Parts: sequence; structure tokens; C-alpha cells
Amino acid sequence: MPGIDESLLEAMRLPGARGALVVDWISGLALGAVGEAPGGDVEATAAETAELARLAMESGALAPAHAGQGKEPPVEDLILTTADAFHLLRFVVTTFDSTVFLFLSLDRADGNLALARIRLAEMADRMVLG
Amino acid sequence: MTAAAARADGSAPALLDTLAADRATGALTTRSGIFYLAAGHVVHVESAHSPALGDLLTRSGALAPAGWWEAVERAGARQRVGRQLVDSGRLTAGALELAHLGALFDAAYFALAHDGTALRFRPGVAHWLGAVRPVPVATVLRESYRRRALLDRIHPDPAVDTAPLTRTPDAGQAVLPPRRGRALALVDGGRTAAQIASALAHRTFHTLVELRRLAADGLVAPAPPAPAPPVHPVPGAGRADWDEPDTALLRRLLDALEAL
Repeated sequence: MPGIDESLLEAMRLPGARGALVVDWISGLALGAVGEAPGGDVEATAAETAELARLAMESGALAPAHAGQGKEPPVEDLILTTADAFHLLRFVVTTFDSTVFLFLSLDRADGNLALARIRLAEMADRMVLG
Repeated sequence: MTAAAARADGSAPALLDTLAADRATGALTTRSGIFYLAAGHVVHVESAHSPALGDLLTRSGALAPAGWWEAVERAGARQRVGRQLVDSGRLTAGALELAHLGALFDAAYFALAHDGTALRFRPGVAHWLGAVRPVPVATVLRESYRRRALLDRIHPDPAVDTAPLTRTPDAGQAVLPPRRGRALALVDGGRTAAQIASALAHRTFHTLVELRRLAADGLVAPAPPAPAPPVHPVPGAGRADWDEPDTALLRRLLDALEAL
């Protein structure tokens, strides 16, 4: 049953992984960080990815409350692609009040987005469900 | 231990810095909360204005109250309740850490918010939860300041945080994200933000964010002031009983006894 750090270290073992964070998307706080944050500043990355996450989570058009078919949150993940990186945000579903996602930054040349997306989903579940 | 740390008569942030530099262990009480330190790191924080970890876990259904209290009973004296919850398979390490950090930063914001005065430091005192994921003092302080700035950026009216809240006529038609909608549903003209958070089993700061957004959108406003105080003085009135951590502890004890 992995904790925050074990989950982040596991994410860093994915091909092309550069950095991984656990971020609270309401406060913008990084609860854990491993590797290199894009731009080199963990706090800035946490605050900016939290804003993205919140916009997605509160998008009435893309992710209306019923989109999750009764499940919350209505958004499962977010993918942001740049010329040299894939940035992946996976929301962690907990039974208690937590508003966090796993963030993984991958080198675009070495990373495998499809694999990372599947693995990150598994890690998010295992971290809180065992 | 320095003399400054033992006397605890300064501002809480300055004292926390000193305690961190001294790698101190003990409990620092402010007007609205208690910081538990181990070797200069923050291991737990409690505040009367934010739900306790046990309440967050049990009221949300993440953990049965009997399971929580069994862990407190079995491991409380050894200060290993967190460890016990994980070892007994009731929570994953990740779930405990997320819930614990959520409660810690939430309580720290309120323990520092009100006037930030440190009242006393009790060296050597440890919390029964035990160390889950200790946080540097500097991180806790920086995050509390950042949270205050975040709330003010959303809607610069601190009255939303403490006053009873009421809905405006526009609130009925609004289509809202789920969390915000649930917070609005509990705004009834009487409840305060902390009471709404407690009813939702949500962290208070996270509820404040939703309420300030609702206020910024003109859907929620602080209720008009209560009627004039009674002519005859009420014993104890005028003292901020809610602000005293020991009162909060007694309330929680009462809740716990009632839940048995």
C-alpha cells in the first residue's frame, strides 16, 4: 500500500519521466514532489497545474456534473502536449474530502503517453484504495 | 531549548521559526489552534475552526467511527494511531497521508489566521496521532500566507469567512460546479463557513474558497448583524469561547462520547 512518495517514485520509473507531483487543485499546494518540475519551480508548477485542473473540473460544457455518471469528479485526467513534453494530470478519487491529482511530466521523445496514462490511473487508485 | 521558545510570548510565526531552528519537540498553542512539533517539523495541527482528521475520515464514510476509535484506543498511548490505521488495513498509507496533510494545512491556516499570537509552548508534548508526514515549519507558514492571499484574490471580504451567510435572490437559478453547489445548498442565513464545512465533512479552507467564489458571483453575502445583545449581561458572553482550543477539545470529546 504505497504512500505519496512511493507513488511518485513509481511514476518516475515510467519511460521518459521527468518529474511527478501530488497537487491539491483547490489550494494549489504541492503535497509531494519527485524529480524535476517543469520550469524548475515546484510551487509555481503546482499553482499553475491546479488552475488548469480547476478550470477543467468546473467546466460546465466539457464536464457537467452528470458526465461522471454519478461518479465524482467528472474529469478523470488532463493531457497537455508541448513541443518537447507530455504533461499528464490524473485526478485521485477518495471517499474523504481531498481534492488532489497526480501530475507527471514526460519527455516527449522518450515518453509513452498511452502507457503513462494507464499506469498513472492505476497508481492513483492504488495510492488510496490499496 | 532557548529561553524564547520556553516563554512563548511572541508572534506564532516567529516562535515557530525559532522552534524549527532549535529542532524542538512539543506543542505550541495559539489563540485558535495547537501546533505539534517533532524535531523542529510540524507533525500535526489542530484548530477549533477546522474539522479534526477523525471527523474528516469518519463523517465522510472513509472510515467507520468504531475503526477510528479502536485505533485511538490501541495505539493512542504509544502515539502511533496513524500507523495503526495503516497497519490494520483500515486505510492505505496514501489515503492517510492525503487526509492528514489536508487536515494539517487546513488547521494551520486558522491557527495562524486570527491574531497569530503564541500563548504557550509545552516542551516534549506529542500528539497521539504520531508522525504521518512531517512538514517543515517554513512550508506551513508560506502556505498559510499564500492561502490568505488566494482568498483575497477571489473576493476581498473576510467577513465571508466568519459571519453567518445568506443567499441572494440570484442564487436560485445559478448552475454551479458540484462542490460549490453543495456549499451553497447549506447556506441558510444562520450557518457560518466553519459550520458549513463541518456539515459537509469538508476542510474549512476549501469551503471558504467555494464560499468566496459564491460571494464574488453575488450569490452569497454575509447575513445582516444579529439583533442587539440582551440588556442583562450573560456570564461568559463577550469572551470568544470558540477561540479557545481547550473548548474545542472538550467539544470533540463530547462528540466522540456521543458517537460511542
